[in-house]
Amino acid sequence: MSSHREAPSISKDPVADNTDTYAFVTPNNTVAIITSYLPSQAPAGGPNFYEFGDDVTYQVNIDNNGDGRADVIYQFKFTTVNTNPNTFLYNTGPIDSLTSANWNRRQTYTVTKITRQGDVRLARNLACPPCNIGPRSTPNYSDLADAATYSLDSGEKVFAGQRADSFFVDLGSVFDLGTLRPFQNLHLIPTAAADGRDSLAQANVHSIVLEVPIEQLVRGRGAPTDPMAANATIGVWGSAYRQKANVRGASRRTVGPWMQVSRLGNPLFNEVIVPLAQKDQWNADSPNRDSRYAQFVAQPELARLLPVLYPGVFPNLAGLTADRADLLAILLTGIPSGIIPGFQNFTGTTQADMLRLNVAIPPSSSPSRLGLIGGDLAGFPNGRRLTDDAVTIELRAVAGATYPLVAPTYTPDDAVSVIEDGTFNNPGRNLLNRFPYIGLPYAGYDVP
Amino acid sequence: MEPVTRRSFLIKGSAGAAGVAGAFGTGLVLSNKSGDGTALSAAELDEVGDQPVVLNVRDAATGEVEVYVGEREVVFTDKSLVAKVLRATH
Repeated sequence: MSSHREAPSISKDPVADNTDTYAFVTPNNTVAIITSYLPSQAPAGGPNFYEFGDDVTYQVNIDNNGDGRADVIYQFKFTTVNTNPNTFLYNTGPIDSLTSANWNRRQTYTVTKITRQGDVRLARNLACPPCNIGPRSTPNYSDLADAATYSLDSGEKVFAGQRADSFFVDLGSVFDLGTLRPFQNLHLIPTAAADGRDSLAQANVHSIVLEVPIEQLVRGRGAPTDPMAANATIGVWGSAYRQKANVRGASRRTVGPWMQVSRLGNPLFNEVIVPLAQKDQWNADSPNRDSRYAQFVAQPELARLLPVLYPGVFPNLAGLTADRADLLAILLTGIPSGIIPGFQNFTGTTQADMLRLNVAIPPSSSPSRLGLIGGDLAGFPNGRRLTDDAVTIELRAVAGATYPLVAPTYTPDDAVSVIEDGTFNNPGRNLLNRFPYIGLPYAGYDVP
Repeated sequence: MEPVTRRSFLIKGSAGAAGVAGAFGTGLVLSNKSGDGTALSAAELDEVGDQPVVLNVRDAATGEVEVYVGEREVVFTDKSLVAKVLRATH
């Protein structure tokens, strides 16, 4: 999946597992950033419903000078309390407000902004909504979730809590020896053709959603309006940290310096690019050290596998042995000017896996789920929207769709234009066209 | 070495040790102090409070020790302390 359980260590630590990072320009001249954790939640989560970790620090990181290090950081820390010591229940009646006496276990959080000027506590004691349990426990869930959205005096909007996972992927197919549903019959081990199946169709996640005025994220004064301006592109990634030691006992305590255990910029980078033996180290590294992983981008294993798994389907890809300058640009430096007319999201020569967003490109009036390769400059890999089909985009890019950007004489194989994940059309996610954008979570009563 | 603050870490842009959180600094302090074997004073005990303090012997041969306290890691060398700790485990 994008980064759901993508590395051996973090797969055993879901509370700190960053599943996806999204960043897009809104019509309000702001940037919305969504980082999600706690993958693959079955909505019927009782008796212990899902929650953020009190012993985890969550961060949204923004690099605005291209060095692969954060210049603006939003840090989120959570506190959980039980209000009723005499019940085994999460709630003892309907939760009809965020102050309901029926709600036994609740979380609050603080938001701190960190820049070169220092640390500023933007807010404290902000409430997360409860998990979506069902019509008796959490009636009017939409109102509960709306009550947990906050507009801060400093200009940001924030939300933290359970939502429907907006990522979609045919996981069972992809990891069954690279099966692509449209070509099952052409696979080295063929099966009958079948439609894609979304492995996350009714799963929830916990999301931190942040909306920030553009001028607060870029270097220089004001929001850039020229897409070709040097300060128009920011790099975004999410990350999570745990303290070095954990002392278990009557009261569990953590101690020591904070260690990074998870991060996510571009979807699928650690999942599909980085070798299994190095995935844990990648999660602990800072993006500014990502040149050590560039070899796996330049010669992606998946590009070598496709012609083997699908004999005769990818002949041109089979003959493509040069380093993939297209992928190195898309994933590690951004696309420089002069490649796509009117577009760039280049952040400099430092190779760093960040989700690069040119904030001077306005939202598309007719978005393509294929983003940039669909001719939509406002979509992935220029940032990432909730509707972008990241799996299909990256499959096609790795299969050669973007190589002509750097080698105009190269012709992608015919099959490249029809590769589909086949899981994009899921109406159940109920995305919002307003903050916090990502859809309401599935209720446990409805999705047992 | 002075403790690395969040602010100084950001300004210096140090990569720090691999795997260390960017916003937190390394949290690492190298110390040449070592105990003189006397008991802690009441004031020192108050300072420690009830927070956990974890000692990790990084290298028994050199006597290098890591101590985790609060959000910090203090590293120092004390062969006699390491010998005392390890013998106590036998």
